[in-house]
Amino acid sequence: MGIMQQVADGISVAGILVIIALGLGITFGVMKIINMAHGELIMIGAYVTYLVCTEGKMPFVLGMIVSFLVTALVGLLLERFVLRRLYGRPLETLLATFGISLFLQQLIRMLFGPDGKSVVSPFQGVLMIGEVAAPYFRLFIVAIAIVMVLTTAYVMHKTKFGIQLRSVSQNRDMCECLGINTSKVDAYTFGFGAGLAGLAGSILAPIKSVSPTMGLDYLIDSFMVVVLGGVGSLMGTLFGSAAMGESNQLLTTFMGETGAKIVVFLLIILVIRFKPEGLFRMERR
Amino acid sequence: MLKKSILSIAALVMIVSLLAGCGGGKDSTAGGSAGDIKVGVLFSLSGSLAVTEKGMANAALLAIEEINAAGGINGRSISAVQEDYASEPSGAATKAKKLLQQDKVAAIVGGYTSASRQAMLPIVEQANGVLVYPTFYEGQEYSKNIIYTGATPNQQLQEFVPWLMDNVGKKVYFIGSDYVYPVETNKQVKELLKLNGGEVVGEEYVPLGQSEFASVINKIKEAAPDVIFSDLVGDSVAAFYKQYKSYGLDPAVMPIASPVTAESEVVSMGADVAAGHISSSAYFQTVDTPENAKFVEAYRAKYGENEPITQVIEATYFSTLLLAEALKKAEDVTDAEAVIGAFAGLEMKAPQGTVKIDPENNHAWLNSRIGKVGADGQFEIVQSTSEPIYPEPWAKILYPEHEKPWKK
Repeated sequence: MGIMQQVADGISVAGILVIIALGLGITFGVMKIINMAHGELIMIGAYVTYLVCTEGKMPFVLGMIVSFLVTALVGLLLERFVLRRLYGRPLETLLATFGISLFLQQLIRMLFGPDGKSVVSPFQGVLMIGEVAAPYFRLFIVAIAIVMVLTTAYVMHKTKFGIQLRSVSQNRDMCECLGINTSKVDAYTFGFGAGLAGLAGSILAPIKSVSPTMGLDYLIDSFMVVVLGGVGSLMGTLFGSAAMGESNQLLTTFMGETGAKIVVFLLIILVIRFKPEGLFRMERR
Repeated sequence: MLKKSILSIAALVMIVSLLAGCGGGKDSTAGGSAGDIKVGVLFSLSGSLAVTEKGMANAALLAIEEINAAGGINGRSISAVQEDYASEPSGAATKAKKLLQQDKVAAIVGGYTSASRQAMLPIVEQANGVLVYPTFYEGQEYSKNIIYTGATPNQQLQEFVPWLMDNVGKKVYFIGSDYVYPVETNKQVKELLKLNGGEVVGEEYVPLGQSEFASVINKIKEAAPDVIFSDLVGDSVAAFYKQYKSYGLDPAVMPIASPVTAESEVVSMGADVAAGHISSSAYFQTVDTPENAKFVEAYRAKYGENEPITQVIEATYFSTLLLAEALKKAEDVTDAEAVIGAFAGLEMKAPQGTVKIDPENNHAWLNSRIGKVGADGQFEIVQSTSEPIYPEPWAKILYPEHEKPWKK
């Protein structure tokens, strides 16, 4: 029985979840912005990769870098012109970002047409470990997920920007008193989170669909990961992804895809019922 | 404070007027004179279904242009009244009502999903209008006010499944999106498997929009079928084919066979991923008929070189031409019964070959083709029927006893 194969694929699914949820972990987790346009930021990343790699015939790595930069720029603009005016008003933020998500979907549809686009996978082939098949591209995704988490952890904990970011999220007034330019920190944080979303879109483009409607699926998954793992905690995002990826993958062995999804949803509801702060709670004073 | 509330009221007024503008402003009636015959063109130009329906609307407009250039309907030209139902079935009902009651169109060409057709059905029956529905669908419907020009499952499957058994293999694994069309289609495929000595080795339905297939692919590998029968739709299609390839599976050994995957899906996954897989359809862009050469050229000249042309686009095109023939034949174009009556037995050379409207059940006799994707991303036709196939809204092999509603 391919239980080992399912576990291995669970790791790769978890990797995909880490990649898509990391950006949201920052914008929602740290900044408390309910960003309904997260999926569309992922979509923008995927389309930029399509432009760079399929249309421009450039290497995939370049597509990843450009996707990060372009989406970060989009994030900065969104923060500057929309979200900045709505801090502390979650309901309005939700509506505004939902509107933005529809706007971006339609914009992409007008620019690129409604049909899906293809991005060729940079890695072909499969690595066989005993009975377990691991496509090179899935290994690459897991590696990238690890690199992204480590880089984000480094940025958040070791750089001046990261320390400012965390202190602003904990006590904005005190930071302002101490002379930190909080609006600048907000802008860069959102830009960084958006950039990570774009990078996610870029990495997933070769194995998922690239179309104007692709964002919705990712939005739901990434919110669940962040809420399950614990809002505001990087480790939470990591473990939330692992828990969701593995449980989903293992459950599909016994029930169909639809059944597995229902059970995972139920488990998440149970977790939130008994641990409302998620699996990993960030200690706060 | 006062200033703020004035501002917000002003903003509200603006939003409302904008919305109102969107609602009514889509008419592209080309200043129709009193003598023109109005035809409604009702497809989604926005929302998630615009992917496919934009091309269908284009095809209808192209056909109307050609009809008018060739002299119109007994000297009167057709003016198209285009509406956008924005991928919402309820919108399809509202817009159909508007077209029938306000614009008083002779007929509507429109609808893509079954949900949109089912939303329009009571409206069209109530207003006693004519709807030409050009999409392949799961069957099990008949309305005296609807002409169905898309394929019913039997037309797509009765040649396809035996061909797969003979040329690919007898062990079949089903993968589909979890809704009515795949489930109904697979029921029929299973009956055909029984008749042809085939065997079901697995069956899996995934939620609409699912894009993660690692687990499904593992199960498929374990079941080791000869052929994977996919009725996935939407974004799932490209994701499944891409992940199939990334797991190193080989279409020469275990191809994916599908009645859904067509030219536009191939573009969205890339020719390298699609090559070697098999689809069944009434029409492929590569069909070799003079009518098709002319159609592809005209469509491309009008809408762009790289536009994929799929079976629903072709069906919309020939349906609109057929509608023109029916309008010519009908004594009174405002009388729905006369128009529907004129459709009965109507035959023409469509891009896909000869098609005709069945005199009894309002469905079209269509061709059936099997195509294999080549390295260039186009379908290479490996089998083609010589005669159009009879449409069975209620498939004989599944419902031999079903009473025929058109006989009432």
